[in-house]
Amino acid sequence: MSTIGLGPHGEKAFPADKLVLTESEAAAARAGQFSAAIVLHTTTSDWSRQELAGIIGTLGLHGATVTEVVDCGFDKAKQNEALNRLANTPIHAVISLPIASAEVLEAHRAIARAGKKLVLLDNAPSGLRPGVDYLAVSSADNFGLGAMAAELISPWAPEEGVVGIINYGAEFFVTNERELAFRKWMSARRPDVTLVRSRFARVEEAGAAYEKLLADNDDLDAVFVAWDVPAMRVLARIREGARALPMTTVDLGNEIVTELRRDGPLKGVAAQRPYDQGAAAASAALLGLIGRPPPAWISSTGLMVTQANLREAYKTVWHAPAPP
Amino acid sequence: MVGVEPDAADGGKRRVGRPSLLESGGASLATVLGLIRSGEATTRLDIERASELGRAVVADRLTALEALGLITEGELGPAIGGRAPRNMRFRREAGAVLTAHVDRASIAVGLADLAGDLVVEHHEGADLAEGPEAILDRLVTLFLWLLEERGGKSSAWAIGLALPELARADANDGEALGPSAVDALRAWRSFDFATELALHIGAPCWARSNTQMMTFGEMKRGAGHGFRDVLCVRLDRSVTAGVIADGRLHTGAQGNAGLIGHIPTGEGSELICHCGARGCLDVVASGEAVARAAAAAAVDGRSRYLAEMLERQDEVAETDVSHGAQLGDAFCADLLGRSGRLIGESLAPLVNLLNPAAVVLAGTLAHSGEILLAAVREAIYRRSHPVVTRDLRIVRSELAGSAELVGAAALAAEETFDPSRAREWIAHATPRRQPSFEAFLVEARGRKRRFSSRQPPPPPPRPPPRG
Repeated sequence: MSTIGLGPHGEKAFPADKLVLTESEAAAARAGQFSAAIVLHTTTSDWSRQELAGIIGTLGLHGATVTEVVDCGFDKAKQNEALNRLANTPIHAVISLPIASAEVLEAHRAIARAGKKLVLLDNAPSGLRPGVDYLAVSSADNFGLGAMAAELISPWAPEEGVVGIINYGAEFFVTNERELAFRKWMSARRPDVTLVRSRFARVEEAGAAYEKLLADNDDLDAVFVAWDVPAMRVLARIREGARALPMTTVDLGNEIVTELRRDGPLKGVAAQRPYDQGAAAASAALLGLIGRPPPAWISSTGLMVTQANLREAYKTVWHAPAPP
Repeated sequence: MVGVEPDAADGGKRRVGRPSLLESGGASLATVLGLIRSGEATTRLDIERASELGRAVVADRLTALEALGLITEGELGPAIGGRAPRNMRFRREAGAVLTAHVDRASIAVGLADLAGDLVVEHHEGADLAEGPEAILDRLVTLFLWLLEERGGKSSAWAIGLALPELARADANDGEALGPSAVDALRAWRSFDFATELALHIGAPCWARSNTQMMTFGEMKRGAGHGFRDVLCVRLDRSVTAGVIADGRLHTGAQGNAGLIGHIPTGEGSELICHCGARGCLDVVASGEAVARAAAAAAVDGRSRYLAEMLERQDEVAETDVSHGAQLGDAFCADLLGRSGRLIGESLAPLVNLLNPAAVVLAGTLAHSGEILLAAVREAIYRRSHPVVTRDLRIVRSELAGSAELVGAAALAAEETFDPSRAREWIAHATPRRQPSFEAFLVEARGRKRRFSSRQPPPPPPRPPPRG
């Protein structure tokens, strides 16, 4: 399946799995003995762990060291503080997942102004210039993931049903893309379905966002949640409630795997490949450091996962066999 | 409030008593707002000096602007003997500017604040062959989604729209345009996109060509930032240009300024340009020309790298030429060098004419590496008068695929707050209620109704075949 989503500035995607250093590039990277820091929204999710493994593994393979991994805990002030500090730290590059847009713009610019290479994961704050302020954005084909999620939930939405979208309230490229694609797919293939939406400002509030959606729409038939961590909170509320609403989400974390096996409300997921995305981000950083500008938008296609193909999909995403 | 009496000389009404702020204060309100918005004067004293309005008038206008929600109190300034003055801040969050970019194979939308700074943007693939109504539909859907969490449709104060320099028949295709392509072109050319968007969203819409909006964007926020005279050149499938003179975008008599792809290069070519001439810059040095030359070289063996690319991926593009040059393929390097020379030689007379502070190169070819850029620079410096090149900067664009959105947002914001326009809407607190705009919407709706009523009814459905 080819990538369908465009980048944050309309770029055509460069496939993540094709971003591999040539022998001479790898030799140049090893000779550089580069150092990098990583700044993430969280380090506790399965997605983050996979992403980190891809970044650290690829950097290590090319002789680069990771000096620091910062867990912002979704706190913008914490991310800004970390980035401003790293701008004055003797490192060559920063790989960062911006957790918002305008609120973290200047701190990311500080990295570029300090002459360090910047690679972004998933999000490019509006105002940052590709090729000038940052080297590349590495992400999933989030537009494709949103379309997959819609395709997965469609069989469970009755004719003229109501489907809810529970999404993140911050200005965030990947969740915007997923929702837009979900809506576009439904509008084209299921124009009979009514879409309603609820938002959460913090992951902890996803359950409450679901309750509000339900309260405002007592005829709700199915739900899409933007990614797995808030999805687990919504699932818990669904279980507590009177109706077992079918649900889809994005990401194949271990808790989601358990849910898919249960044959419960979770009907399928659109899975990212965080390890591959992390590896691509590291490769982009290395290429930039040796003077070979990488593509500005690097993306990996998602996987449509149901109970039926769970085992094979897990191996692809996790690069490891599925747990028994 | 103003009382009115019948008066034949004034459409049946004569005003008595003091005119309301609505009637008389528009100009001074716009002046004061403009000073605060631009940052030229933000304290009461500075505003009095800059506007030459009296103290009482300034105080009155500041109170009115605050009540309208257009300004608010900001930080305290430094005290210069006496109390520290309060700065007034323009409320850029008081409304939103929508921005859209329609291109050959994609559309993009964005939402900006009233300073014209993009807050969010989205790009997706599209097919212009679907026709303008389908594209309009999709843009409106996306706009409404952007506005949903930001106050709804009524928060949209203006729309900036970048439209393609429409596809024209290329005589080099060697095939006549099929009926569907001709129909698509006709549909686009007869469709008043800007008016349709204004009707759907209820906000004024400013439309310019993609290259013009890109130029404005690069001048405001990109590689041309800080310069008032800029020549921006897009090097994509075709070569087009935009001109900023003294800070203003030049659009030309029919809005078509910038078609520099038809500058004759003096280099013979067996290919005929779609304008009918030979040797146009478009057919010898555009992205399409480079791709055509690359494909030929891949087939006849002049470029080993391109031959490998062709075998791997079934086609070669200008980006492959760029990679080939970086990897040392002689043909690729020569091709980019020649293209850069032709482009630079074509731009040199424009540099002589316009004396820009900066030439900004955008598009896929512009970002193809150093060879082309160096060749463009060398040709411009060689062929232009030294007086106009002494301080000239020749640089690459910085905004990538967002330039059109950025430019459209900035232009729409600038037009909205232009004093001559702002004076009319400002007392109504939003340009949506500007009397001339409301009249425009009424007239446009009437035109649409009249056009619809003149259309023949659709034919009745055919009866099913017998037997």
